[in-house]
This record gives sequence, C-alpha cells and structure tokens, in this order.
Amino acid sequence: MSHWSEATQERAREIIARYPQKRSAVMPLLYLAMAEEGYLTNEGMEEVARWVDITPAQVQAVATFYTMYKRRPTGRYLVSCCTSISCMLLGGDDVLHAVEDESGVPHGETGADGLLSVEHVECIGACGGAPAVQVNYELIEGVTPDKARDLVRWLDTARPDVVNTDEMQELFGGVRSFDWAIREGEGAKGPYPAFQALGTVGREGET
Amino acid sequence: MPGPCQIAVSCRHVACTASGGLGVAMGEAGPEHVTITIDGVSHEVPAGALVIKAAQDRGTYIPRFCWHERMNPVGMCRMCLVEVQGPRGPMLVTACTNNVADGMVVDTRGPTVKKAQEAVLEFLLANHPLDCPVCDKGGECPLQDQAFSHGPGESRFVEIKRNFAKPIPISDLVLLDRERCILCARCTRFSDEISGDPLIEFKSRANVTEVNTFPDLPFSSYFSGNTIQICPVGALTSAQYRFRARPWDLQMVESSGMHDTAHPRLSVQVSQNEVLRLVGVDNDATNHGWLSDKDRFGFQYLTSEERLTMPLVRQDGQLVETTWAEALDRVAERIGLIRDEDGGEVFAVIGGGHGTNEDAYAISKFARVVLETNNVDARLDDALSSHFLAATADRGLIADIDGADTILLWGPDLKEEHPTLYLRVRRAAQELGVRLVVIHPRATGLDDRASMKLTYRPGGGFALLDEVADGKHPELRQALSADRVVAIVGQASFADGPQLAESVAAYVRNKAGSARILPLARRGNIFGALDMGLAPDLLPGRVAPDHAGRAALAESWGEPPAARGKDTRAMLEGIDSGEIRFLLLVGADPVRDVPDPRRALLAMDSAEYVVSIDLFLNDSNREADVVLPAAGFAEKDGTVTNLEGRVQKVNVIAPIPGQGRPDWAILDDLAERAGRPIGLANAESIAKEISEVAPAYTGITWDHLEWEARDGAVVPLSGSQPLSHIPVALKGDNAPTAPLLLHVGRTLYDDGVMLRHSPSLRPLARGAVVHLNPEDAKKAGAQDGHPVRVVTSHGEGEFSAILDEGTPEGVVYVPFNQPGGAPLGTDAVVRVTAVGR
Repeated sequence: MSHWSEATQERAREIIARYPQKRSAVMPLLYLAMAEEGYLTNEGMEEVARWVDITPAQVQAVATFYTMYKRRPTGRYLVSCCTSISCMLLGGDDVLHAVEDESGVPHGETGADGLLSVEHVECIGACGGAPAVQVNYELIEGVTPDKARDLVRWLDTARPDVVNTDEMQELFGGVRSFDWAIREGEGAKGPYPAFQALGTVGREGET
Repeated sequence: MPGPCQIAVSCRHVACTASGGLGVAMGEAGPEHVTITIDGVSHEVPAGALVIKAAQDRGTYIPRFCWHERMNPVGMCRMCLVEVQGPRGPMLVTACTNNVADGMVVDTRGPTVKKAQEAVLEFLLANHPLDCPVCDKGGECPLQDQAFSHGPGESRFVEIKRNFAKPIPISDLVLLDRERCILCARCTRFSDEISGDPLIEFKSRANVTEVNTFPDLPFSSYFSGNTIQICPVGALTSAQYRFRARPWDLQMVESSGMHDTAHPRLSVQVSQNEVLRLVGVDNDATNHGWLSDKDRFGFQYLTSEERLTMPLVRQDGQLVETTWAEALDRVAERIGLIRDEDGGEVFAVIGGGHGTNEDAYAISKFARVVLETNNVDARLDDALSSHFLAATADRGLIADIDGADTILLWGPDLKEEHPTLYLRVRRAAQELGVRLVVIHPRATGLDDRASMKLTYRPGGGFALLDEVADGKHPELRQALSADRVVAIVGQASFADGPQLAESVAAYVRNKAGSARILPLARRGNIFGALDMGLAPDLLPGRVAPDHAGRAALAESWGEPPAARGKDTRAMLEGIDSGEIRFLLLVGADPVRDVPDPRRALLAMDSAEYVVSIDLFLNDSNREADVVLPAAGFAEKDGTVTNLEGRVQKVNVIAPIPGQGRPDWAILDDLAERAGRPIGLANAESIAKEISEVAPAYTGITWDHLEWEARDGAVVPLSGSQPLSHIPVALKGDNAPTAPLLLHVGRTLYDDGVMLRHSPSLRPLARGAVVHLNPEDAKKAGAQDGHPVRVVTSHGEGEFSAILDEGTPEGVVYVPFNQPGGAPLGTDAVVRVTAVGR
C-alpha cells in the first residue's frame, strides 16, 4: 500500500527493474521520495524500504550519509555556494556572504517564506569557473558577490517554475570552465537533481 | 478462496564471503598449507586463511576491534595493521582483510607497526570518554585492554569530545552509549549477517557518525543481546545487567542454555550467590557463541520472590509449609495405599523435560520401580512419536546442514521455537550457499533466505505431501532428490497431526541420495528425557520396553512393569475418567502447555491425588495435594542431551533457595520412604549408572565430558544404540475445507512459567493477538489494532487484530499461550468477527 502517486509508483517500478537486486535502487528512490513530498520524511524512507525490501534503518543509513538527501523542508530554490579551495581562493566566501545578506537566510537554513534555502557546499566540480553557485543543482560559474545579490533578487521577483543552468549563467555568471559545452534546456523544477528517470527535469524532452 | 497450497519461488541471495574468514572453518578435506613468516618465525598455515586468524592460531595475537571470527571481515577499525614485505617494499596492511600467501613475511610488532597501532588507538580515544570506572565493560573491555597493551599511554588531543545523549534504549533489553562507540560495525554486521534483522545501522557521516535505529522502530531482535557481548567497548550494554557487578567480582562456570533444545553453550556468571548474567561461549557444534535473548536473559526467574522454598502440603484446603519428612512421608504412604489397592496402572508421571538427564533417569526409575508403571511422559501432547524423536534412522547432526545440498525445513518457525538452529540454518543458506526449502502455513523468519517457500493451509500438510509425491512440484522434488539432503521436521501447526513430520522424513529418506533427519521437539532437555525413558514406550538408552529390553534392565532395576503405558493425553483422559488416581508432575504445567488445555483443566479438577515437583506454583499445581520445591538451572549439575543427541555437561554455581532439592534427590528420598529404595547417591553416580544401564550412553561419564569431549559427545559413541526407528509414511486426514482455518504456533516469548517470572522478558510476550490477512480482515470488518472475537469449537476469546500480509488468505494465526489470550484448542475451523465498539 503505497502513499505515492501512481506516476511516482510507476517510475519506482521502472527504476527497480533496471537492477539485478532491488536494494540497488535505494538511491534513486530516495530522490523520488523527496520529489514526492518536497523533502525526505521518515515516512518517505519507510516507503523506500518497502519498495526495495530492506529495513528503514538501512535506508536511513544511506539517506543520512549523503547531504543531497534533505531531511528538513527545503525552500523552493536551494542556493548552494561552493567554499572548497578553488572557489574559496577566488572569493567563494564573499559570494556566500552576499547571498546570505541579500536573502536574510543564514547558510544551513530556509527563509521563513519558504522561498530560499542557502547552504555552503564542498566542491561541485566547477573549479575552472570558480567561484561557483548552484540553484537547485543547476550550475552558475564565475559568480561575483554583486551578481549573487542580483541572483537572489531575481529568484525573489521572477520566481521561475524551472531554473536552467544556461539561462542563469547568461544572467549572473562569468568565466565558465567549458564554454564549448553542449547547452541543455531542461532545467530543474525543484530542490532536487534533475534526472529524466526520476521525472524531476523541468522541461522534459527539450535539449 | 485459495487452493490447498500456494507456491512461491524466490531467487536466493548468496552473499559472497570474503575468502578465508568463514571458509576456513568449513575445512572438509584437509586444506592446503603455505609457509609464512610471522615475526621472524616460519609457520605452516592453511592456504587462503586471513593473516589475523593464521597468526592467532599460531600463537601471535594481533590486536583488533572490528574483526570477529564468526563474521565477515570489513577492515574498519585499522587496529590490526601489520607490516608485510611487498614487491614495492614493506607496507602496512590490515591483517583481517588480507589472506596469507606462500612466502609472505609479516611483522606484527616492529617499530612501524607499533607506531601505527599507537596512532590508531590515539585516534580511537580522541572521542571515547574515559569513564571506565562507571562503565559495565570496564575490566573486560577490548578497548581498555588494548589501550594498555598497545596504546601510546598518552594522548595529544585536548579538544572537546563528541557529545550525545546517553544512554539511550534501542530496545527493551539494550542500551546504547554513542559516545563510547568506535564505529567498528560489529553490532550492525551481526544484525545483518548473522541474525537477519538489520534494525540498527550507521547514521550520518564523518565526525558525527553514530549507530542507531530508525525513529520509533526499536532494535527488537530476538538476538539483540549478542551485540552487547561482541561490542568491543561499552557502547552497547545490557539494561538488565547494568551496574549490577564488576567483571572481576564474578564467578563463572560453563553450562548449556536450557530454553532451546540445541543447548547453546554459555557461561553462567554469579556474584554473591545470584546469577547475574549469561554469556555465550563459542562451540563449533552448536551455537558459535551466539545466544537468543530468551537464553541470555531468561534466567531471572531463578531469583524470583515467588520461588518455592519449602515443601507444601494441603491442610484444610490450603497449601501450608511443612518439613521434607512430613511431606514425603505423606506421599509415600499414599503411594503405598494406592499401589496395594490398584497396582501400578493407576499412577501417572508427566514432565521431566526441563531437568537434567540424571533427574530424568531418577524419574524413569522411580516410575518403573516404585510406582510400577509405564505411564510416564516428558512430552505434553505436542510432540512427535517418541521412537522417531529419540531413535530415528539417519538422524543428523546440526553441522550436517553446513555441507548439505538441500535443507528441507518443514516444521515450526525456527526463529520462534529453535533460535540456535535458526542461526545455523540462516548461516548455511546465506553464507555457505546451501539451498533452503521452507514449508510452513505462513511467513517464517527464514523466508528471506529460502530458495523455495511453500505455504499450505493448516491441516493440509498431507495433501501437500501427496502432491509432491505425485510430481506436482517438480522443482521441490528435484531439490529433495539431491545428494545430501537434511530434513528438519517438526509440528508446524497444532492442526497438523504428529504423523506428518515423520511421513515427510520417510519421503525424504526415499528420495534423497543420503538423507539426514533432524526431528524437532520442545522443552529444554526433551531429548535427554526421552533417552532416559520418559515415554511410555521407551526405557533408558533408547530401548523399547519389549521382553529383551526389560530383561536387560532387570539386573539393576528389578523387572520393569510390562503393561503398556499411557502418553500424556491418555493420562489426562485417564485422570478425568477415574482410571488414574495418582499424578506426579515434575516441572510440568499441562494446563498452560498442552495444545488443548480443556483436557488438562478437567484432569486437574478431577484428580484424586496430585504431587508436584516444581520451582513455582502454577496453574496446574495450585490445587495439588503436595508441592515440593526443586532446584533450577545452575543450581544443580548433570548432563543434558540436545536435539542431535549431543550430551553436554551443565554445572552448578548458585545455591538452591530455601530448602529446594534436585529432582533426583527428592525422588530417591521418596522411594526410600515408600519402601522401594532406588539407590541414587549423587548426580555423578547417577551418570555412572546411566553409562552402565543405558546402552546408547555407554562410556559417557562426567570425566569423559569434562576432559575429553569439551564440545559434548554425540550418543551413541559406538553402534550400541539398540533401537533404530525407520520413519513411516502415513496417510493423514483430508484438509478441512472451511473458508477460515486456525493456525496456532508458538512464539519465542510467551506466558510460560519461566518467562512470567523473568522481568526483562515478560513484557515482550506478544499478548492476545490474532494475525489476519488484510482480505480476510476486510471480510470480517476487522481493523488493525482493534479487537476481534475468535471462536472455535474448543474455545473462544477476544484478540487484538494484526493485519499481516505474511498470513495467507484463509488462515488465522494465533500465537500460543500469550498473556491474556484465551486457549483455542486444536480445532482448525474458526470464525472471526469484529467486536463493535
């Protein structure tokens, strides 16, 4: 007896079918649980445990190990500022402070209106374009403190349904690691990574 | 409505075992050897062994926390670092994850290793609190010991240590102190690899990693106590033992657990004459060091305030305390009167399945010599035939399951009734890749490791067996036609007659290349009791009471009675009908323990004279004429015989409260007063008499068990067992066709006398519950957790409904003998209605 929507259940079945052992599907299913409820609840973990036939304690072990499984309500936009070494050397901390100051949300927390969550994160693989920021895991490189303030104001006023890396890069970014990279138009529609299989991409079918 | 049986075939998970670790223990043919050098000394060691194990077996102890001989290695704690000469020069490797190779040069104590060990310990102690003086583990703590033997002596850490709330209960029995935890994963691996209920796991990561349960889902494992024992620090402690003693104040003696017919080996630990805890002892043959929580914590009844301490006799309708002389003279006089009037036929003896072999022998001799009767039975109307249990042809050993091609388990849920055997079967299926077939009316604790699982409707076992024989289940037939098949058979449900298990055994013996049979029965020393002749159709040493059997005993006992004896059911019916005038109960509570208690209640109400030897007043002896206080576990020494016929020594370490005496001493005294002395001087001399009188026990003396057979001796030692019972295939009744059928099964924790008086375990009994398939619940209008009325032709009562997918449609599962639960008898047809509120 699942509490999930029929569409989510169908996705869960498809994902589980990809693996020789059910339990291997625990990580994608945790994202499904997050997408279903906005964040990962205890009930969500119990549901995943039933789907992949392991105990809730075992699901919790995975869910608590990885920081991208959010076990508290997260804002509509999750702003992640990198403070690992390359970004730190190029002003990542200033970018973080600018985001905190402009939004009024200290890192690790969510604004009272539920719009924004701010966090500082370890390396997100964008050292060539440091300092880097992600909004709902969509990357923006070469961000300055001023651009970061613009980004926060834009999220507050424009409130896009889908955030997209290329769009935000043009508006708020600077130097990119790979300016020849293929553009992708899908974007993310919530504070969880956008994957086709999970049904979490913003505009399905677009590239 | 479902058909007579549903077949479900699931794929088996075969966890890969790291080479070495568990594999070496299997060692069938002599393993190949390689030569390695440990600290400059050359050794021959088994090829493929882990370095840590090879070194240990050659006398070099490498310190460790996470590695445990009975679990797969993980290399988490890094304490076992040793230096190995490699192709690129010397390097530090973990001895618990590396296998020996020919020519390997290992250094376990040079300066590099010493520095590594000191560093590891310094890091482990960076967060570990130094609260050893108030820690239960202090004095027997591997971390404490190894910090002394291998540590740097000083720490450079001045930072504040981790803080957690402590201790937190993770179950009713286990407390967790996360500050002390060194994250070795012994407990989590045990619950995953060994007991199969991974309800504790690591949580979070890095510096804040902790072991914990899921919120509101406690570590309610039947084996949770093992994690306390294997925790190498004081992170997991026992709620029951907490702050009760320091290890150096404990006296201890080795013995066997008596809640479980496998007889797991354990250490009884006592302070100030009180048993304070039981700790598992590693025994290759039985328990591998593990204990179920019932065996570990189910001893508190020994020190209960309710223990009987004085002989009681009925006077003016009340049981009053008296002297042994007065009580025994009364009984002796009554025995003489009745025997003179009616002879031995009117006596009945029920019980003896909980004591030692010496006690059982005394009961057997007392019944035959003093009471002149064969009306004696240690089974309580819930067991297979005595000849099949005690002397089946091709009887197997527990260890046989490790090398089997197929294990057939057609009987009770081992997790509930035979926890030691459950762990062995789980290991065989999970770690050794043995094919496991489980046949049971509902879900069992081993289903997740079964390569094949069949369910059948209660009472429909014979129909299923016929189907198998007719070739309707080809896959199962094929599995049973394998070369080495071990059939573990017992009564899965009260609705199945006792003949089913024997018929299954007969089928497997015909089918398999070579079959080994392990028949199951309940009550701690039931197999010892049967071997001592506590059944109407057995004499000591697995001898049938035929002419030859009686003649052989005549020299030492005088000719035993020839009349055919009654089993427990016939005795209870005989009491009700007046055929039986005198009932002796020895550690037996038929009202609570027979499947259909109406029969026992009627018998107890109409009995002319009842004498009970027991630890407590119970529902059966409350109205007795004389109640005599007995000695309990750890209060007497002797031998016991487990389900494979293995005889082990149990030992005394605690005094008997009040004036209690061992069963054999009571009966010897009584026999003397009744004018028919049976000549039993002490337990050891009884053991000697058994080894002379009981053919299967020839040569099994206490000396033999204490000095030569440390893991116990399997009887018979030679081919001296006179009785070899060939299992017979029988035809059973047709399965009842009612839409709902009752399945009554035992659970580990129930309302038995010993658990009722053990405060730690009493609250864990299931209570009055009934398991319903959600579809059946819907039809009956029953909701989860709400009361329903369950009615059979034998009884009725109100139970709390549990909606359970593991119980097939058409089956109503009620755990037996639960606090507050009404007895429902053995009738399979049942009605369930929701109780309106």
